[in-house]
Amino acid sequence: MDRRKFLKGTGALLAVLGVGRGSWVRAQAGAQVPTVEDVQDLENLNKGLKEALGITFDRLEPSDQVRIGAPKIAESGANVPVEVVVDLPPAEVKGVHCFVDKNPFPHLFSTEFGTKAAESYFATRIRIAETAPIRIVVETQDGRFLLASHVTRVTVGGCG
Amino acid sequence: MALILIRTSPRKPKKGEVTKLSVVVRHPMEPGTRRDEEGNLIPAKYITELEVTLNGKRVAFVRPSRGVSANPLFAFKIKAEPGEVRVVYRDTSGETGEKTYTLKVAE
Repeated sequence: MDRRKFLKGTGALLAVLGVGRGSWVRAQAGAQVPTVEDVQDLENLNKGLKEALGITFDRLEPSDQVRIGAPKIAESGANVPVEVVVDLPPAEVKGVHCFVDKNPFPHLFSTEFGTKAAESYFATRIRIAETAPIRIVVETQDGRFLLASHVTRVTVGGCG
Repeated sequence: MALILIRTSPRKPKKGEVTKLSVVVRHPMEPGTRRDEEGNLIPAKYITELEVTLNGKRVAFVRPSRGVSANPLFAFKIKAEPGEVRVVYRDTSGETGEKTYTLKVAE
């Protein structure tokens, strides 16, 4: 085999391997965070919704006025930062409520804003028992319940 | 007695500037589901109410539960004005704590 052919051959082979490897890694990364439907537990979520608000999941309206900032993957479920921004003035928000579908106690917190809140913004850190959707339910003054969901994949649970 | 830390970002905001107000409480937030080395349940002890006011008017009222992390952080957005930020909390054992912070603004 002459030298030129050899170099071309290995070059092409490496290129093929490189491309193949890259797409494999991307596929893995895509598979790591499941969708809301994959990991939801509406029965347990309803338990928390009833206890905290006296409603069930079918009362909630998915809304892009509610935004959740939280990691996609959390190494520890004991301390997951959650940031909530509602695109409504604080005076129109009656309460911000947080639930996690698969926690043994699915209702995590409720927050009401006062007259000194400049924006409908709240941040805290929560415990997540296992990979599940975080639900932020915003109760408006006109009696609606807006919903945003965000899945955080947890590698070590934070409730035990 | 639990320690409460209060901080704003920016540290010294301009008057009227939207400012992040962060509160951290040193508290175990014991969920009541954990066991000690002997396998006994550690009794629940977590904050159930936390109120934040600015010059006597409410910024927010939070009702956390056992699902909020130990040494919890709570953050809000306020419009900066000179005066006093006050945080008061109560937990499941009836323990209360409070802290005030003097907010200074740049003119």
